[in-house]
Amino acid sequence: MGRIVLKSVTKSFGDVEVIPPLDLTIEEGEFAVFVGPSGCGKSTLLRMIAGLEDLSSGSIEIDGQDATQVPPAKRGLAMVFQSYALYPHMSVRKNIGFPLRMAKMAPAKVTARVETAAKSLNLMDYLDRKPADLSGGQRQRVAIGRAIVREPAAFLFDEPLSNLDAALRVGMRLEIGELHERLQTTMIYVTHDQVEAMTMANKIVVLRAGVIEQVGSPLELYHRPRNTFVAGFIGSPKMNLISGTQAQKYDAATIGIRPEHIDVSMTEGSWEGYVGVAEHLGSDTFLHVHGSGVSEMITVRISGDISVNQGDTIYLTPQSDQLHRFDAQGTRIP
Amino acid sequence: MSDRKLPRLLQSPAVLLLLVWMLIPLGMTLYFSFIRYVLNSLRRPEWTSPSLSNWRGFGNYEFVLNSKDFLFAIQNSLFIVCSILFLTVILGVLIAVLINKSFPGQGIVRVLLISPFFVMPAVNAVLWINMILDPVLGLQGIAVANLNDLAAALRDAPVIGWFFALWPQLEPISFRATQTSAYAVIIMVTWQWTPFAVLIFMTSLQSEDQQQKEAAVLDGASSWSQFRFLTLPHLGRPIAIVVMIQAIFHLSLYAEIEIVSRGNGNKNLPYLIGEFANNNIGAASATGIFAVILANIVAIFLLRMVGKTLME
Repeated sequence: MGRIVLKSVTKSFGDVEVIPPLDLTIEEGEFAVFVGPSGCGKSTLLRMIAGLEDLSSGSIEIDGQDATQVPPAKRGLAMVFQSYALYPHMSVRKNIGFPLRMAKMAPAKVTARVETAAKSLNLMDYLDRKPADLSGGQRQRVAIGRAIVREPAAFLFDEPLSNLDAALRVGMRLEIGELHERLQTTMIYVTHDQVEAMTMANKIVVLRAGVIEQVGSPLELYHRPRNTFVAGFIGSPKMNLISGTQAQKYDAATIGIRPEHIDVSMTEGSWEGYVGVAEHLGSDTFLHVHGSGVSEMITVRISGDISVNQGDTIYLTPQSDQLHRFDAQGTRIP
Repeated sequence: MSDRKLPRLLQSPAVLLLLVWMLIPLGMTLYFSFIRYVLNSLRRPEWTSPSLSNWRGFGNYEFVLNSKDFLFAIQNSLFIVCSILFLTVILGVLIAVLINKSFPGQGIVRVLLISPFFVMPAVNAVLWINMILDPVLGLQGIAVANLNDLAAALRDAPVIGWFFALWPQLEPISFRATQTSAYAVIIMVTWQWTPFAVLIFMTSLQSEDQQQKEAAVLDGASSWSQFRFLTLPHLGRPIAIVVMIQAIFHLSLYAEIEIVSRGNGNKNLPYLIGEFANNNIGAASATGIFAVILANIVAIFLLRMVGKTLME
């Protein structure tokens, strides 16, 4: 259950086309993440799958059946919203049980299903509280609980973690990942945070202005970005993109080298520069190197600690087997 | 001077003024309600000026309780207030939900809907009782007469004539009559105050969370369920406010009752006070104290009831 196919789907608001014809297949049991900068159409795409937005043209298939004209409730999909969208005057128990109640399920069965879901989400102690009395993380779990009880064909998450603080976000990321392991249900997850995308996804869909730039596994995107946009978007700190004479040496319009694929020496190397800001994280050090003549600034990531001062001269050597080459259109040269 | 004293000192003139404003009339009413005080008496001229030597104890209260109109006035007050509340809240919610959707001409429709609220109560009453509800010259009379003419004309028509022959002659209702004057007041005040309810409910509806509605759509809630489980609880607080404010306002209805039937078959406590105040200030004051007690009971009772059913 839960294979979703989009066929030349488009969306226009008035004269503005937000999503030009787009094809995408999400396989059964996959954890697909739509990632892209804000305004790229990823949330619109998710809402179209959910049925909250109409398609301008094209079709959506869920489990081999055309679902384009099927109303949202009948698509068998559950959605978790960014604002949680809990019903404020209902207790946690009633919130989680609401979709079952709407499906006219027998009260005894509803109670059983709600308690099973609550147990798996550690919500047993909060069942009789109102959403206003819960913390952000607890509210998020109630929203997930409300989605789980329906036993949907697929889960849709719309930036569910962006209202949580950093520590909680890491915890919830893990919980959602474990949920997917346990249920093996298709999940579609929208985020602008590439770290969330890299850590959770089986399949990442990178979007820019409604166009799919690349679809692939996290490591595929990391190792073989199809163009400069994906190269710059995936990976933290960002990949160094260098054009000009240095790139021509490699028969490319632009070359890309990730900060972690540059060797550093105090005495010799291909490029000479001086250290600007050094960010010491303990486990890693990020150096921002200026004045190399190659690019205005090159970011370097060094494992562990290194004692350099601002203004020190430093030599950089890119690892040639980790170099990415792009042509004038920004497309990858194999 | 400590931090707290200065703000209190600055507040005190306003607080004092409000206290005086409230306590002096209340105190005087209480005082008058315990003495014999009439405006005009040839037999007992000493009663025409308020004085402690005219002390009557609970005599005025006893007199009011035993007067034939008192119980009727209380019942009628409650009947009018509750009917108006019931109708304005239901109509208000329905109209607010209806015009909350966007449609062409929305702005004009909203202004027109609000406009009855700007009509003066006395004007409202005169318009309704003379131009709309009048059994001969009002819209009601004209409509009834025309319906009767139409039925009479169709009675001779082929095929369908037998159906209209079964129709009785319609009688226009006289809304100034003893039995119906309360309904006239309820109709006109409901017309005037529904806009107030609409206005408050509409502002509340605009603050409703749209993502909650989308979540409910995905959860399989029908339009009715969305209204029942999301919109109505969301409106709980504004409904309580509308009920409270209107209950207090409508307990003191006067102009409409005076204009419709001069209290014929339709008195409420303020009207009874007015009648007593033609001469017997003591009895009028005692009735006033009863009115204050009734207003408080109604307010507390309604607030609790509305709060419990809707804010759970």
